[in-house]
Amino acid sequence: MAALTLSPRGRSRAAGASSGMPAFRFGVVTRSVILVVAALYFVVPLVASGRYALEGAHGTYTLSAVTALFHDSALWSSLQLSAEIALGAGLLTLVLLTPTSVWVNLRMPKLRRLMESLTLLPLVVPVVVVVLGIYGAFPTTVVGSPVLLVFEYVVLAMPYSYRAIDSGVQALELHTLVDASRTLGASWPSTFRRVLVPNLRTSLVAAAFITIAYSLGEFAMASLLSFTTFPVQLYQIGTDQIDEATAVSVFALLVTWGLLLGLSLLGGRRRAVRGSGAPGPAGRPPVDGVGADLVAEVESVLGHGDPGVPGISHLRGGGT
Amino acid sequence: MRDVGLVQTTVRAETATRGRGSSAGSEERAGVRVELVECERRYGVVAALDRFSLTIEPGELVALLGPSGCGKTTALRALAGLEQIDSGSVRIRDVDVTALPPHRRELGMVFQAYSLFPNMTAIDNVGFGLRLRKADAKSRRQRAGDLLDLVGLSAQSRRFPHELSGGQQQRVALARALAVAPRVLLLDEPLSALDAKVRAQLRDEIRRIQLEVGITTLFVTHDQEEALSMADRVGVMASGRLQQIGAPDEVYERPVNAFVAEFVGSVSRVPATVGRDGTVDVLGRRVPLPSPQSAFAPGATVDVLLRPEAFAVRADPCGLGVVTRRSFRGPVLHVAVAVPGQVEVVATMSATAGADIGVGTAVSVEPTGAPLFVTEPRAGVA
Ligand SMILES: Nc1ncnc2c1ncn2[C@@H]1O[C@H](COP(=O)(O)OP(=O)(O)OP(=O)(O)O)[C@@H](O)[C@H]1O
Ligand SMILES: [Mg+2]
Repeated sequence: MAALTLSPRGRSRAAGASSGMPAFRFGVVTRSVILVVAALYFVVPLVASGRYALEGAHGTYTLSAVTALFHDSALWSSLQLSAEIALGAGLLTLVLLTPTSVWVNLRMPKLRRLMESLTLLPLVVPVVVVVLGIYGAFPTTVVGSPVLLVFEYVVLAMPYSYRAIDSGVQALELHTLVDASRTLGASWPSTFRRVLVPNLRTSLVAAAFITIAYSLGEFAMASLLSFTTFPVQLYQIGTDQIDEATAVSVFALLVTWGLLLGLSLLGGRRRAVRGSGAPGPAGRPPVDGVGADLVAEVESVLGHGDPGVPGISHLRGGGT
Repeated sequence: MRDVGLVQTTVRAETATRGRGSSAGSEERAGVRVELVECERRYGVVAALDRFSLTIEPGELVALLGPSGCGKTTALRALAGLEQIDSGSVRIRDVDVTALPPHRRELGMVFQAYSLFPNMTAIDNVGFGLRLRKADAKSRRQRAGDLLDLVGLSAQSRRFPHELSGGQQQRVALARALAVAPRVLLLDEPLSALDAKVRAQLRDEIRRIQLEVGITTLFVTHDQEEALSMADRVGVMASGRLQQIGAPDEVYERPVNAFVAEFVGSVSRVPATVGRDGTVDVLGRRVPLPSPQSAFAPGATVDVLLRPEAFAVRADPCGLGVVTRRSFRGPVLHVAVAVPGQVEVVATMSATAGADIGVGTAVSVEPTGAPLFVTEPRAGVA
């Protein structure tokens, strides 16, 4: 859910950033119309929700729904649970998938195709089937612990997160960088930490972001396994008190938005310029918009961009 | 002034970074001996290294020359430890390092592809190896600055790789490789991505720096001009084997086989017949066999290989040759002459001597001395 709320956001930002590209040059009028329509599409429901959340009896406005929200301890603990699971899943994704992708690209390039289709499996298998499988495969003690969800979300977000990482790895001159680092005296762990991770930062942040957003918004699996995560709690509130639920929705939106912003800033703070392979002095333009790279990355992974050209934002304006 | 200063800083920085490790800091600077002994490396049926042996003397620059796919890179990477060898051994300063991983071999390497770390500035790239060796920030910056100075890029030290030209990137890569005071410098076609002018310039510069630092160096290239002009010795490789190794003039003037003769410099291959008492009939003229090759039986059909400068070409209305191409190169003139038997010979002459020779001119062609090499006729060619 959160992922769905966010991806159009990423799209609209990236579209704004790429408007300098001649290929997409529309007239000012057309552009404004598109902007207004798109803005309406997102803003109207938001405003309506906000109004509804703040509306009291007989056309008055009250903060009672919002205050109720802040005093709802069940909601806070569910949010905490979700946050913990999401962070765990994000971390685990990086720890598991980064070395995997590097290894596959470096040593087993033949397995690349296989990895790609393997990581797509979670998209093909319905959640219900996975849940049934879990009940069958694990003893009840494991099924009862929310740690299970961490693993599940790592797997479920993998179609996106693996692609984010893998496209970053493929964009690097992996062999040369590793060889250079090794001959300069770096051990494997050191090469990984000092050379690969800094140059993959944008991709890694994107992968973590996707996984976190996915985990924060996932409802079906958590609900079927009876964990009261944030979305599950939200759903329950919604069935009891509808005005508080809308307040919560708006709040949730702000939280995820803040998260996106934070991660974008993290990704753009000292943007790593990827790929040293370009010959000649032309090179790439320096840092463009804050986090635009991340957005492009997320976007390309989610299929809005051109997945064959990771980090297309390199091509955007801001000449030397 | 810059050069003299650098040698001293180099010594100092080396003792500083190596620290307690070695007893004689400055003696190490004389360079070390490197040996590849009977190295074998197979990829399926392809032998990238086929009982390959090579010794590089301390401080020497050896160029490995050979056609694409002959195993040059494999040899270099085997020395660096980046490639496993199936058998054989690698020795650096008389110590067997075959089992050592690359990061423990203390080598500097410059790659064909641009290999600078994209997330670091030029000076941080150069300082990378020093940081790994826990040199403190000040001496690291000092040393990296000196090396950037050595390659003439002090002004660009704060630039990122994508803000540097290809030639500049390779200079930084060279500085980075030298910064850790490696025992051996390995260069894998570092100039091949650059345009001709930058290439020639950087080639001279690499040689200057190599002599200045006195480091044992292996240089891989498929450009013979590069190899001949830079190296103390040139090793010519073909299909995983070292065919010949020697001083540039030795390899050029006394090739040990037809492959080397044809690969280094340019030659024309002309059918000929071995005559009596150590002579051979080439284009109707009797010339001596090259002295180590008098073993061919009289009457045998052979191919002889001749350098362009080993022909006398004269305009001659009764001559059997016809000029097919003519290219003017300043003081010299290159002409290709078709002679009977579907053979084309390439000859050079002084531009003045060739003033009356144009495309289509009938000429006489004669060898002026012993051919470079005599070999069995090529199968399928008359
Ligand atoms: N990883 C590999 N897998 C299979 N074969 C390989 C591999 N690396 C090299 N080879 C083969 O080994 C042989 C030698 O390769 P190498 O890279 O050493 O050639 P080279 O002399 O450096 O050529 P070039 O001048 O083109 O760089 C070639 O035939 C090549 O196809
Ligand atoms: Mg090579």
